[in-house]
Amino acid sequence: MIHLAQKDISHTFGKFIVTAMGVGMLLGIVLIMIGVYRGLIVDATNLLDDVNADIWVVQENTLGPFAESSRIHEDLKNTLKAIEGIDKAEAITFQNIQLYTNSKPIRVEAVGFDPFGDIDPINPLHLIKGRTLNRAHYEVVVSAETGLNLHDHIDIGRDSYTIVGITQKTVSSGGDPLIYMSLKDAQQLQFSYSNATIRNDRDRGAVSNPDLHIVNAIIGTIKTGYNNNIISDNIARWKHLSVYTNNEQKEILTKNVVEKSSKQIGLFTIILVIVSTIIIGLIIYTMTLEKIKEISIMKLIGIPDGVIIKMIVQETVLLGFFAFIFGNIFSHLTYDKFPKRVILEAPDALTLFGVILIASVIASFVGVAKVVHADPTVAIGG
Amino acid sequence: MSTQQSIKIENLVKEFGKGDSLLRVIDGASFTVNKGELIALIAPSGAGKTTLLMMIGCVIDPTSGTIWLGEEKVYEDKWITHNSRKIRREKIGFIFQAHYLIPFLNVIENVTLVPQTNGVSEKQAKADAMKLLEYLDIADKAHSKPSALSGGQNQRVAIARALANNPQIILADEPTAALDSARALSVVQMLKKIATEQNVAIIMVTHDERMVQRCDKIMKIENKKIIFEAVEIPS
Repeated sequence: MIHLAQKDISHTFGKFIVTAMGVGMLLGIVLIMIGVYRGLIVDATNLLDDVNADIWVVQENTLGPFAESSRIHEDLKNTLKAIEGIDKAEAITFQNIQLYTNSKPIRVEAVGFDPFGDIDPINPLHLIKGRTLNRAHYEVVVSAETGLNLHDHIDIGRDSYTIVGITQKTVSSGGDPLIYMSLKDAQQLQFSYSNATIRNDRDRGAVSNPDLHIVNAIIGTIKTGYNNNIISDNIARWKHLSVYTNNEQKEILTKNVVEKSSKQIGLFTIILVIVSTIIIGLIIYTMTLEKIKEISIMKLIGIPDGVIIKMIVQETVLLGFFAFIFGNIFSHLTYDKFPKRVILEAPDALTLFGVILIASVIASFVGVAKVVHADPTVAIGG
Repeated sequence: MSTQQSIKIENLVKEFGKGDSLLRVIDGASFTVNKGELIALIAPSGAGKTTLLMMIGCVIDPTSGTIWLGEEKVYEDKWITHNSRKIRREKIGFIFQAHYLIPFLNVIENVTLVPQTNGVSEKQAKADAMKLLEYLDIADKAHSKPSALSGGQNQRVAIARALANNPQIILADEPTAALDSARALSVVQMLKKIATEQNVAIIMVTHDERMVQRCDKIMKIENKKIIFEAVEIPS
């Protein structure tokens, strides 16, 4: 039997391909939106995974530094180290700052940690150039996403820092590139006042005596054989602190922090899929209208509706298929140009392919309805 | 119905509209067309020629009457057949003023579309189509698209398509109107040959007196009635 859809498509191949490319770009955006969502989740948990702590100890009644402001004393790490079951404990700070390099501002999140401590939040797998911190002051490791280079000097606050290492794909839950600095530098940056402020305070009779030994969280690891939850409950009960296991922190991040963004992206993706379906439907309707005379002739010479409907449905599915191919090409060519992480995964693409196939069949109904109602006498101008 | 009769029409009526705007186009037409006959259907514009052809071709519904196609009664005040398209596909060939070929199919695909839909294998349908195209002297264009052919060539392809399903009846609605005199005459001679050699009943709508003279009988629609006349060959 003659493959009518194939014949019709090859008759107007250029037009068909351009149409498929147009719809494909729309599907490419859908794939990128899904990729943005995946990137959001990975970014959100990136730092947590790199730190790889078992527990996060934060200010009482707060959710921790990723969701709320948290301030606790640095020496609590020593208290924690004395608790049975705790293997390692270190203080850590987080602070959003803006760097100015070549007059271009870069928003980053600074992670402060003790370079001589037991826990290094810099994942060696992500360190692509240089080394981790091994001095107490004026060294930073920066994410490659900042655009800064090894051995560059940058001014942060009142001091100049040397870049001693470059990491890759290390961003905060908000997608800002990370820079790592010593805990002392981070505390100085976050809690000390400028000279002018100190002078002003003195003139006003106020005493500027900032406590520089404040941190945002204490992270700890648990010895083998001890239960994370029991230790967490004990610390929270007796030390008046909030304690979260790594999984709880992850849940806070993914549910409380990125949930709204995820829902927003999810809704946007659904709308885009619906819009794509409507557009495919409109294209098929127009393509069917353009062929209405040929369809009428076929009906007139006795070709059954089934044969004509098969042609319309096959054309729609082929349009969806080619659009999906172009969408994949488009998304893979552009995903790394986006400022935030976009992760394209094969299962997402396959799911979208299934959705588009179903959407194409639904979209073909408008063309099929036109075929069913086409009057054979239209062919002869009747 | 006689085995020689290919089309038998009894008291066929076609009305359009309702109430005050009711228009009766065909009023009690009764006639028979025998196998192998080429009939010229002539009437003024708007008299109902195409309507009559389309009723015989099971394309539009008559208001009342009876239609026999070959041995089969297909209409008696309502369609007896449930699949009028199958009857068209298996018993009737259509030729129109324009060729109305499917533009995205080439010549041989246009000709084999109906036979293949009827279940003939692709190989057999193509072999039969090539014979037809050779018969109509257009086999060398078998793989060309209609857009690459002249009007006369396309009309011959349209005739090949009409013959491809070995029809008992061919309904031709002004098949020569778009052609020059020489080509028009060639098409009518071809139809006459087909009617005689393949024992097919052909009703051909035409306004051209020269074409009428090649036919076996003249069927006129006058005052909504069907009148048969003998063909007068000018001396």
